[in-house]
Formats: sequence, structure tokens, C-alpha cells
Amino acid sequence: MTEWVLIVDDEAMIRENLKAYLEDEGWRVAAFESVAPALNWLRNGDPCRVCIMDMRLPDIDGNTAIRALHQTHPDLEFLIHTGSSSYSLPEDLRAMGLDDSRIYHKPLADMAPLAAAARRLAARGDWP
Amino acid sequence: MPAPSPSSIPSSPPIASAPRRHGAWRLFYWGLALVAIIGVAIATVLDPLDYYEILLDHWLDPARGEPDGFTAMLRHTLWLLVWLGVVAIAALLWSWLLRRQVALRTRQLLRELNERQQVETALRESEARFRDVTEAASDWIWEMNEHLRFTYLSERFYALTGIAPDHVLGRARWEIGVADSASDLERWRQHRKLLEQQLPFRDFVYRTQLSNNQNTGRYLKVSGKPIYDVQGRFLGYRGTGTDITEQIRAETALQESELRLRRIIDLVPHMIFAKDRHGRFLLANRATANAFGMTVDDLIQHSHPFVHSVAEETERMLGDDREVIDSGTPKFIAEETFTDHAGQARTLQTIKIPFIEPGLNETAVLGVAIDITEQKRAKEEVARMRLYLKNIIDSMPSVLIGVDPWGYITVLNQPAEQTSGMSWEAAQGRFFGDVFPQLDGQFEQVRQAIRLGRPIKTPRMTLDIQGELHYADVMVYPLMADSASGAVIRMDDVTARVRIESMMVQTEKMLSVGGLAAGMAHEINNPLGAILQGSQNILRRVAPDMPQNRAVADAIGIDLDQVHRYLEQRQIPRFLEGIREAGARAAKIVADMLSFSRHSEPHFAMVNLEEMLETVLRLAASDYDLKKKYDFKRIAIERDYDPALRFVSCDKTEIEQVILNLLKNAAQAMAEESTPTPVITLRTRREAEHALVEVVDNGPGMDEKTLKRIFEPFFTTKEVGAGTGLGLSVSYFIITEQHNGRLSVMSKPGQGARFSIRLPLPGREALP
Repeated sequence: MTEWVLIVDDEAMIRENLKAYLEDEGWRVAAFESVAPALNWLRNGDPCRVCIMDMRLPDIDGNTAIRALHQTHPDLEFLIHTGSSSYSLPEDLRAMGLDDSRIYHKPLADMAPLAAAARRLAARGDWP
Repeated sequence: MPAPSPSSIPSSPPIASAPRRHGAWRLFYWGLALVAIIGVAIATVLDPLDYYEILLDHWLDPARGEPDGFTAMLRHTLWLLVWLGVVAIAALLWSWLLRRQVALRTRQLLRELNERQQVETALRESEARFRDVTEAASDWIWEMNEHLRFTYLSERFYALTGIAPDHVLGRARWEIGVADSASDLERWRQHRKLLEQQLPFRDFVYRTQLSNNQNTGRYLKVSGKPIYDVQGRFLGYRGTGTDITEQIRAETALQESELRLRRIIDLVPHMIFAKDRHGRFLLANRATANAFGMTVDDLIQHSHPFVHSVAEETERMLGDDREVIDSGTPKFIAEETFTDHAGQARTLQTIKIPFIEPGLNETAVLGVAIDITEQKRAKEEVARMRLYLKNIIDSMPSVLIGVDPWGYITVLNQPAEQTSGMSWEAAQGRFFGDVFPQLDGQFEQVRQAIRLGRPIKTPRMTLDIQGELHYADVMVYPLMADSASGAVIRMDDVTARVRIESMMVQTEKMLSVGGLAAGMAHEINNPLGAILQGSQNILRRVAPDMPQNRAVADAIGIDLDQVHRYLEQRQIPRFLEGIREAGARAAKIVADMLSFSRHSEPHFAMVNLEEMLETVLRLAASDYDLKKKYDFKRIAIERDYDPALRFVSCDKTEIEQVILNLLKNAAQAMAEESTPTPVITLRTRREAEHALVEVVDNGPGMDEKTLKRIFEPFFTTKEVGAGTGLGLSVSYFIITEQHNGRLSVMSKPGQGARFSIRLPLPGREALP
């Protein structure tokens, strides 16, 4: 079976590259440039377990988006892919179970670790 | 009959005529007696018996017959002659007796006369003597009559007093005398009473109102005794007088002089005294007496040990006295303590001089003691103040040099002494440029400061101290106190400050780079992400072994292996790899730049320094980089660890990064210059406030220009592409900014380089 992964990033080439890489890895990828269409897709689309979230987005910032998505889809796991070097996780996000290992700084010279992490998170969701 | 012996009669002329007179008479008498005797003899011869019978008869019986005439007449004549002879003999006898009486008497008279002559001579001699004495005597003779009026004055009176005797004769003594005071009046009264009682007197001194024409008033001293005549009748007075005016004046002058001297020595605030060998006071002024709490007169009667209560001081002072008396040389006692009667300790400066007290045979000691208690206190106060001020200037970290307007040194403080290596005493009076060659050029500033009356500053003067570059701020302050009598040169070694300032400039630069980087990182990271991820995807999607690639190739009918061969031949993967590497390097630069920002909280912990260094060495050894052309394994590592330094407080990861960076730089530099036997020494030392870690290499070293800029961001000596130019500046930032330490470098071309990291030791940070 092929898992869905949700990508939210306003940088088209980043989005495209991630999508290409993860598709090559066997994922079904839904990529959006902002949070609102992503939410729409989640509401209507197939179940999705992993979301790769950029922090600086055109409509709302990444942290808020994570909170909102977590609210509606508590099963969704997040990986943070940010261009900001000074990013640190807010406390409430940590309370959701996020930690520094979820943070991936741009630029990613190798996307393999990110893909591996996504796979681990998706697999974790299967067991309970 | 014996004639008076001529020898018994003095042969004085009046007496000599007497025997001749007596001789004539004697001849006459002798003649008469001779005639009588001859007559008697004849008569006897003629009628020796008859005649007498007849004669007797005649006389007895005149009536008996008358002899014849002639015979009778002869008889009568004979009888007459007999009688005449008898008479003559009687007369002769009488004359003899008489003459004998006369001679006796004459002799007596002569004797008397002689005696009287002698008395007269004596009297004359006495008179002459008296006269001589009177005339020669210093005194004069005076006489008064029974009315006590002067009747006589000897010549000496005028000679001595210069007063004409006319003024005096006929007057009483009290009419010519004056009384100056009540006591004088009383003396006069007593004198007059004495005279009236006709009693002798001696040495009555009075002043006359009479005068010679030079001086008014003469002092006369008179003695006298009453004179009486044979009957004991009072005739007046006789006596002597002398003019003692000069004596009185001399005495008065002496008294005055003594009084003046006494007043003077009493006025002197110093102690003046004279003592004999036994410490008895012969002389003392009031200051001395006051010191002993006595009057001068009381003190004179006592000896030093009696009046001075502190035995120890007495002992010492008497010892000094004796020493002066015995040696006969003066002694100067610069300082001695003396406890006065009130128990107050004083400090005296005394000079003792041997001297012979008039009327005393042995040497005494004359002393003058000056009370220098206040002086000494003031001096001590001055000395204390001076010391205090010296302390103050010595405590100044600045080099302070006091100079006169001609540049000669008057004062140095301790830092100045240390800097010049010359003591204040030695430097005093020397030209400051000779003692401080580094300040030689400052003389113009000294002159200008004095002329303008304001400080002249020379900031950041560069000095070469034992080959090391130092900076000094030099200020020249004119001395304003008394009409600019010089200047003070203040020199502060500001090398450390200059370094800190440049460090801060450096840090500021880095922070601005950091801020810039933080701002643009996001913007750059996204495109970099696109580049890097894009390259990765391209490489993956042209790879022949990926099933998806093969599926797509099959679907469109191309041979993937051929495509791959084509790409290989055209070096497409190589270019793509180049793109990826370039992207990665850009990402590294951005990451390094970002580390300049203060965002991250360092994670401090106590770290075992040796373990950490060994870890870094292992990391460096594995960092074999073909492209960077060095092999760490070729380099000899020397470890020089201080056993006293084990733990430091730091962010381990960051310090590791710094040391690794230093090791890599050293290895790279040595590799580039092909140092024959490359050695890196790792040294740790415990300093007073820092832990020192040094990385020393024996590579090519650096010139001054490089050293100056070595910590600047983007400054690199490596060929383009070999380094980011940020490694050392990041290290610098980590050490100085995040660890509050110091990173310094010492190097000279060809002599290797020494990087020193100083990290504050724990516990020292608490100090302000």
C-alpha cells in the first residue's frame, strides 16, 4: 500500500523536489503552497499520517498550522522543514510529542534522512 | 777737773762757742789762785809762824801792839793775799762746780735739742709724707669745722671731681648732696644724725648736685672721723673722700648690662643654662626654669638630679655634660627627649659648650636647648603626608614622571621606577628623555603644556618594548600650583585596552555579519535547498538501477543504460556533483555566518581538558582530506599538559570546534609550505585567572599584516575554495564572546605560530 504524505511549502522547487524524491521512495505525495488548501485536501482526501511543514508560509505560520492540523487530525505526525536557522520548537508543540529530531534545516543536501524519518513516523502510526 | 768730752757734745754751731767763753774765765781764776798761793808761800817763808800768830792776835786782840809799819803792812798784805788765795781757791772750786753743772745741763740741753731736732725732722718727714700722700693719693682729704661746714679740701678734690672747691667750702655736706629717693633721704638723715653725734663714719656714698662741666652729678664716697683738740674739744671732722662716679657708672652699666642680658635670655624661648660638673645650675633662663616648674632663682640653687624627675633622662644629660666638660669640645645633640615638670615629653635639640664660669676654677657647661617638639611633629606630619602622597601616586597604575620646565626629573612613582628600571633617587635630576627613551619626543609637549597651561595628550603612542608592540597614552599636565614650575608626564600602557577595543571592533563586525546572515539565511536557504535537492533528484532519476527510472524509460521506449552511458560520457553526473558541492559550501558559509549571532545559549559544563584535547586529536586525525592536500598522520603531536589544570568550564562542542579548527589550520599551513618535520604542540597551563590552551606549530608563520587581520571574517590566506575565511573568526567569536575568554596569536614569518586560548577559570567570574 502506498502512504500519503502531505507537504506544505511555499517554495515551489522545494515542494517539487521533495515530492519527486518521496514519490521515488514510493509515497503518494500531496503538496500545497499554503495551509488552507492543505486543510481542504485533508478534509476531503485520503487518510494521511505524515506532514512535512515549512515554517514561513504565506497565509499562517508553520507553528499555528501545526496546531490547527493537530486539532482536526490528531493522528497526523509532523516533520519541520525550515530555512530559518534560529527556529526552536514552542513548548505546546513539544507537548504534542514533537522534538528537535523532527526539525530539518534547509538546505537539505540529502533528502534521505527526511524520507527515512517520514517512513518511521508512518510505520509508528500503524501499530496501535 | 775733767773737761767735758768733746765727743759727747754734738758739734752743732750754737753749742761750740760756749767752751771758749768758759776758758777765759778759767784762766782768770787760775791766775788769781796762783797769785794767792805764791803770796802765801812768801809770807810763810818770811815769817812763817809769827805772821800767823800776829795775824791771829791782831784779829783776836787788835789792841796788843802794833808791829812796825812795814812789817805790819806786809803782814796785812800777806793776809790779804792769803784770803785772796782762799777766796780764789773757793772761787775756783765754785767755778768748777758751776762749770760741771753747766756742762751737765748743756749736755742735757743738747740732748733735748737733738731729740727735738729729730722729732722735728720726723715731723717734717711725716708732713712731707702726708703731703705726698695727700697729693699722690687717689682720694682727697677734707676737713669740717665744728659746725660741720667744709673748711678744707685737698687738691685732689678738684682733680678728681672737677668741682671747684669754692662751691664746697663753707657749706655742709647735705647742702651739696642730693637725694634721689626715699631711701636716699633716710640715709641722709642717718648720716646727719651721725655727724651731729660726732661719730666716725665710713664709706658714705652720695651724689652731689654740683658737677663738673661735663656730667651732671658726681658720686662721692667719704669716710671721716671727728677731731678734738688737746682739751677734748670737738673741732670738726676730718676725712677722705673719693669720686666713685665712674665706678658707680661702671657698676650701673654692668648691672644694666646684666639685667639686659638676663632680660634677653629670659625672652629667648629656648632653654639656656649653665651647669657645673655636678649638675648644679649656675645659670638658667626663664624657659629652663619653666621647664622644671620653678623660678629662675629657685632653680639656680638646685642641681639637675634634684629638679628632674626622669632618672634616665637626667643620667643621659649629665653624662653629656661631663663629656663636654672632660673633652673641652662642644657637643651637638640633634634630638633628645626631655620630660618637663608637667610630665609632657618634649624633644630638644641641644648644643653644649664648655666654658669657664668667672670666679670658678673648673670648667662648666653652657647649654642651649631648643624645643623642637612641634617642629618634629610637623616634620613627622609632613613626612607622613609625603609618604601618603607617595603612596597615592605609587598606587596609580599610570607611569607618573614629574619634571621641571627644563625636563629634568623631579618625581617618579613606582610604576615609573619599574618601567625605567631606575629608582626615583637615581633618576632625580636627569633628563626624562634619557631615563625614558620612549618619551624622548615628548619634550616639546612638556614645553607646550607649561606655556599653554593645559594638558597635552598624545594618544596611542606606539612603543617597542622588547620587540613587542605596545600602545601608550601620554598626557602632559602642567603643574599649576606655583606658576607652572614644571609638568607631570602620565603614561598609561593601553596595549590591553587597544587590543580589547580592536577585539570589540572585531566582535562588532562579526555580530553585524551574524545579524546580516540571520536576516538573509532563510532567503538563501530556500534557493540552496532547491539547488541541492534538485541536484539530488536529477542524479537519482538518471540512475539506471532505480526501478521507477526503468519503468518510465520502458514506457517511452528508450534504453536507460544508453542514456546513462551518454550522461557519463558527457560528465553530467560530475557537473551535477559540482552543483551539489557548491550548494553545500554556500550552505556552510551561511551556517558559519549564522553562528556569529548571539542566539544560541552555550551549554556550559565542567569539561576534562585533556580528554577533550585527545578527542579533538582523534577527530583531526580522521579528517584526512585529499583535496586539501594534508595528512594529519604525518604530523608529530607533542603534548605538554599542566597536571594542575584538569577541568574547565566551557561549551564542549564549541571549544572542540575551535581547537579542531586551529589544528586543521596548522596542518594545512605546514602542508602547504612542506614543513620538513611538522610538529604541533598542544600545551595547557594554569594561569592566575585563566586556563591556557596553546596550539603551537613549527610551520611557516605569518607576517604582521596577516596577524592583524587574522580574526577578521572572510579573511583567508588559503587559496580560493580551500576555506571559507570564517574558521578563525568563528573561533574567535566562540572564545571571546561566548566564553568571555581571549584568543591571541603570536607569530613571525618562518617561526611558526602560537595560538593561545584563555578561558576564565571557574570561581574567578564572581570577581567584579
